[in-house]
Amino acid sequence: MAEMHHETGSSGADFDLSQFYQIFFEEAGENLDLMEQMLLNLNLETADDEELNGIFRCAHSVKGGAATFGFSDVAELTHQMESLLDRLRRHELRPTSVMVDVLLESADASRSLLARHQSGDEGTAPPTADLVGRIRKLVSGDTAPAPAPAPASVSAPVKVETVPVEVQQTEAKSRNQVAAVNVLRTLKVVISRLDHVERADAIEELFRDIAGLGVIKSQACNEANTRVFQVETTSSNEDLLDLFAFHVSREQVVIQETVASSEITDDTGGDASEGNIAGANGPGLDVAHASSTLQAPGFGFFDGAPGAPGAPDASDAGIAAVVAAAPTSEDGLPKSSRSGTKSAGAANSQPEAATIRVAISKVDQLINLVGELVITQAMLAQNSRALDPAVYQQLLTGLTDLDRNTRDLQESVMSIRMIPMSIVFSRFPRMLRDLAGKLGKKVDFLTLGEATELDKGLVEKITDPLTHLVRNSCDHGIEMPSDRVLAGKPETGTITLSAAHQGGSIVIEVRDDGRGMSRERILAKARERGLDVSDQMQDSEVWQLIFAPGFSTAEVVTDVSGRGVGMDVVKRNIASLNGTVEIDSKEGFGMKVSVRLPLTLAIMDGMSVGVGSEVYILPLSSVVESFQVKSEAVSTVGQGAQLVKVRDEFMPVIELEKVFQVPRFNTDKTSDIMVVIEAEGSRVVLLVDELLGQQQVVVKNLESNYRKVPNVSGATILGDGKVALILDTGALVRRSRH
Amino acid sequence: MEKIGDAASNVAREYLTFRLDREEYGIDILKVQEIRGYESPTRIANAPSFIKGVVNLRGTIVPIVDMRLKFNCDKAVYDSFTVVIILNLRQRIVGIVVDSVSDVMGLAPENLRAAPDIESVIDSDSVLGLGSLGDRMLILLDIEKLMSGVDMGLVTEPC
Repeated sequence: MAEMHHETGSSGADFDLSQFYQIFFEEAGENLDLMEQMLLNLNLETADDEELNGIFRCAHSVKGGAATFGFSDVAELTHQMESLLDRLRRHELRPTSVMVDVLLESADASRSLLARHQSGDEGTAPPTADLVGRIRKLVSGDTAPAPAPAPASVSAPVKVETVPVEVQQTEAKSRNQVAAVNVLRTLKVVISRLDHVERADAIEELFRDIAGLGVIKSQACNEANTRVFQVETTSSNEDLLDLFAFHVSREQVVIQETVASSEITDDTGGDASEGNIAGANGPGLDVAHASSTLQAPGFGFFDGAPGAPGAPDASDAGIAAVVAAAPTSEDGLPKSSRSGTKSAGAANSQPEAATIRVAISKVDQLINLVGELVITQAMLAQNSRALDPAVYQQLLTGLTDLDRNTRDLQESVMSIRMIPMSIVFSRFPRMLRDLAGKLGKKVDFLTLGEATELDKGLVEKITDPLTHLVRNSCDHGIEMPSDRVLAGKPETGTITLSAAHQGGSIVIEVRDDGRGMSRERILAKARERGLDVSDQMQDSEVWQLIFAPGFSTAEVVTDVSGRGVGMDVVKRNIASLNGTVEIDSKEGFGMKVSVRLPLTLAIMDGMSVGVGSEVYILPLSSVVESFQVKSEAVSTVGQGAQLVKVRDEFMPVIELEKVFQVPRFNTDKTSDIMVVIEAEGSRVVLLVDELLGQQQVVVKNLESNYRKVPNVSGATILGDGKVALILDTGALVRRSRH
Repeated sequence: MEKIGDAASNVAREYLTFRLDREEYGIDILKVQEIRGYESPTRIANAPSFIKGVVNLRGTIVPIVDMRLKFNCDKAVYDSFTVVIILNLRQRIVGIVVDSVSDVMGLAPENLRAAPDIESVIDSDSVLGLGSLGDRMLILLDIEKLMSGVDMGLVTEPC
């Protein structure tokens, strides 16, 4: 098995997942809210696949996240919900109101469990066993009516009968929230009149199977058809009876409370706990008092508890006594309503909402508006230049302030879109672990520079290429442990993923200490495929060959990689982001793939050049140098193509004037400034009239309202409000090759 | 016939009317986003002559089509009266240059006539019909179809 020192999760490795907790809590909360909404809107008669699938997806997302972050109780509960929903959406079961109720309750329970995790509460978890059991029963297709609820319980049927309006439901829930006190009780469970004694033994298994239900001990009993258990649990009698109903009928069970050891785990405040400790065993009034002091006045506790105390079938005196004594703890399950979560949050020092989730379109609009503001500001600055500083001193000071403020504003707004690379990196440890396990390799995974920030749009697009590179490293790069030992390397290979800012770009490197690439094999393979190669090629050129479509030197095609599909896609994806890929490798020592990307797609450092009366923008990242030339320095080849010699290198010359058919009014003037640009590994010289300056430009899409223009990658708005086209240097370089 | 039937089904649709030389045209008012004065656009190389270029409309890059050049009008002058109608067609924004904008009028079904089959620079598919108002004749354009045609050069493929 692979050893993943940097594997994450609840196992307590040194990589800390907790930084993502907040995002998970937010998302889970949203999903639960959405699910609740959809459940409430669900029409049982006409429920269509779309709705059911939607609800299923919500449960599934919460489950997935909970499992990832190691919140097993939430995962367990949502897993059960998912099973039920899965059967519903596959039409194996018909949705009933009972199901909806149970699901709603489960959603509430998940929320309170999550709130508990969020607040870092170490106390006993609210029990979910009852819900799990009830869902299981529904999944198994048991259509028997749900057991009548305990009086104080807000279990579903009561909700539906008494509070038809949703708002009131929430209110009712929040009333009972206070009642959700987890009391650890020691019970004596007597199961009598058994036809088959073995059936009672299944109850012991129940406790084993359902985590968090409690501890059960079998006790000696003289009667042949009776079993006695001692149970320590936080679940209510009602919940236990429900669970037992799988195996023995309710009439056969007698539950007696033996020791009243109360443990308050609800974190609604110290005030309430005192009351609750007293109230758990004493008259219910104390509890009511405690809860009403906690909640706003007028939140009369018993208002929310319709029906007479005492469940109809809890006819046994023992149960009735317990029910009467501690009505508030009857429903051991905290119904987390919003108010419940809030009070927990208030007790916590953490601010409730450290982040807000905003639609990306809103952020983009904000960026657009700030872009406009910057343009207006530039215009003002330009127009005010002619003013006499002595006369307009105040105005000019104001404009300087405006300048600074708009720049700060622009920077802050742009930073909203920036997210740390850790969002991308975090998905790899798990993936590598599985992959290494499958391949029987040992791999360490290291990440560096996770805090490096990148535009959100780029992060989304870089994830797939990076995944591919990491998989490649693991599959092709790292050798089998035995081979590594033979090669004198440590048994465990290392894959390093790093990110760092370099100037205006971000460089992401995937490095491994595996076998590296074999120059000979690549060249041989390339010849086999009929590519034009020679032994004199430089290493870097050889490595670039692996980006050719369909190129693979893998001897065996595995299900992981080796089909030769991918590296070309990787290269294409990265090129489409204005990025480049470089490979460095030494056979036997490993390989390094560097991906260089612009920090953001929305803003670019540009160099504005003038041609005739028009202005074009060159991406500064591709500008190498610029100089003035005399026409005699340009030599022609075969009548047309022009070349210029720059430091012993002949480079093709592209006249922008011709490429863009710029009209010339002053016919005497010719372009005499040369700008050397580099793209896709080649250099060309552009002939322009003048260099106007360097500035940050907001990149706008031409295609949203127009269409693709040859040799142009986009447009931007200049300080005077005019549109200027941004040149596609890659296309210009390609153009010179033909 | 069918086209005019479409137009007639909505009782008294409203049309923005504009002039190109001496001809008067009408387009669905709901497609019009705003009306602006002409400002010289940034030329785009290798575009058809009637595409004047692109302008900055509050941060959006909008192509400008001169309808007078597209419809082969005798002259196309750009002065302070030249008007650009900004259209919003299927989430795409396009500006068209016209000589002047006349008014907005509702046309009742009885004032609509089918367009006779005549040969012109306008693809007959793009003409909804003719509007007759006293002695005035209004050419009702399906501006969306017209602008999304391949020969317009605004889109690479017809929508």
